[in-house]
Amino acid sequence: MSRILDRGEPFFYPGNDVGCLLVHGFPGAPEEMRWLGEHLAKQGYTTLGIRLFGHATHPDDLTRARWQDWMANLEDGYHWIDGACSQVVLIGLSLGGMLTLNFASKTPLVGAVAMATPWELPPIVERLRPIVHPLSKVWRFRTPSEPSDWRDKEAEKLHLYYPVQPLRGISEVYDLNAEMRSSLKHIECPVTLIYSTGDLTVPTDHAQQIYAALGTQDKTLSWVENSGHVLPRDAEREKVFSTITDFVHRVTGDAP
Amino acid sequence: MTMTMPGAETFFFPGGKVGCLLTHGFTATPQEMHELGTRLASQGHTILGVRLFGHGTRLEDMARSRWPDWLASVEDGYHLLRKWCDQIIVIGFSTGGCLSLIMAAELPVDGIVTLSAPYQLPSIPYLKQLYPILPALSTFVPPIRKGPPVWYDMEAAKSRVQYDAYPMRSVYEFGAMLEDMRPRLSKVTAPALLIHSLDDGFIPPSDMQHIHDSLGSTEKRMVHVQNSNHIITCDAAREDVFRETESFVTQFVKHGA
Repeated sequence: MSRILDRGEPFFYPGNDVGCLLVHGFPGAPEEMRWLGEHLAKQGYTTLGIRLFGHATHPDDLTRARWQDWMANLEDGYHWIDGACSQVVLIGLSLGGMLTLNFASKTPLVGAVAMATPWELPPIVERLRPIVHPLSKVWRFRTPSEPSDWRDKEAEKLHLYYPVQPLRGISEVYDLNAEMRSSLKHIECPVTLIYSTGDLTVPTDHAQQIYAALGTQDKTLSWVENSGHVLPRDAEREKVFSTITDFVHRVTGDAP
Repeated sequence: MTMTMPGAETFFFPGGKVGCLLTHGFTATPQEMHELGTRLASQGHTILGVRLFGHGTRLEDMARSRWPDWLASVEDGYHLLRKWCDQIIVIGFSTGGCLSLIMAAELPVDGIVTLSAPYQLPSIPYLKQLYPILPALSTFVPPIRKGPPVWYDMEAAKSRVQYDAYPMRSVYEFGAMLEDMRPRLSKVTAPALLIHSLDDGFIPPSDMQHIHDSLGSTEKRMVHVQNSNHIITCDAAREDVFRETESFVTQFVKHGA
């Protein structure tokens, strides 16, 4: 039996000299980014979707994950795709967006895309943060009870993610989020942000806050309306795909 | 600042239709597979080197890791390489060899190379007796410092990128991985090349014989090298190891297709 869940495998599609490195969200899987990856591969780009540690295996693994592990996973992915491409664009969803922006502040990239990326986590996470490490040893998982924000119910059925969220994992996302906020002013590469007004996880004003904090002069903010949080899978994914394709095309000067 | 130790980065060399998946050993990093990777790439093959989870970052990350995490890292590499080639040869050093064998018992591979791979826990005094209580001990006993390197090529030893200690919990995971591997070996059927040094002071060459005898493969061959300690991909006999591995991999190249 494979350790990685069926459909949870990372992917790497051969293509041209332009590489797109795709980073999924919490507690999701590379599957979230696969349709986008296939779309970019069809445009000719080399596309790699990494798997973040603790994801797409067993929820217990995610209780042992630290945000530094995820940054290291991104570095792994970057070195792989860098072996095949001369220009690399990073594209992340939610947690993947935080990792993307944090990475973009440290490594020269030709561009970065962050989708549905939170500026901050809900206040309850901040209040629990001082006690969450011991607390997470006894209260290991929470089962989300928030209403679904998916608009494409067929795509929702295919969504691969853990139905439970490790408390410790949430606190790691919180710590990374703080890192991300302080890194934004150091980003110099072109950035595009994509959000949905229908996202029930990330409030719309987070988009403006990240946009304002970005150090780069080359920044754009795009919106969709008829999608939930999982932008590259939900109803308006085609619009998201073409926004990203146009961005990759523009920043790499590569004819699709 | 990066999370990965300088020199411990993963690597990918695009090439021909034969893909080689390279996996390093316990407490080490992709660095110990890098030269073998560049050699195989120069022969025209596609090469991907993975970093095992918990390795090449901080020692406390390794102490947090479990052996199935390491296996998942190898599986990641397998899936990444898949679209770049028609055939996959898994090449693993020591623990990386064991993980390659465990994966090859489940996922289709076209060939296997193990280098200095262990079959059982090495005969370190008291290790077998202490093994069951290592997880408990690891909560208060600090990692075991490594001694000075014993190499035949001391220059090569200097460029090594690795942790300088063994977390006790990880020693337990190493043993648990071996326990998982042994009954799976009969399910491995791909052609196999096994290389071991007669001068390996850590894992005895008899371990290679045990793996060889347990493998389900009909095509399997053992090669002994000399004048190298355990790290045969970097120590004095590395050219012998590269040559044997290259000629094994080259047989998978389809000509005139």
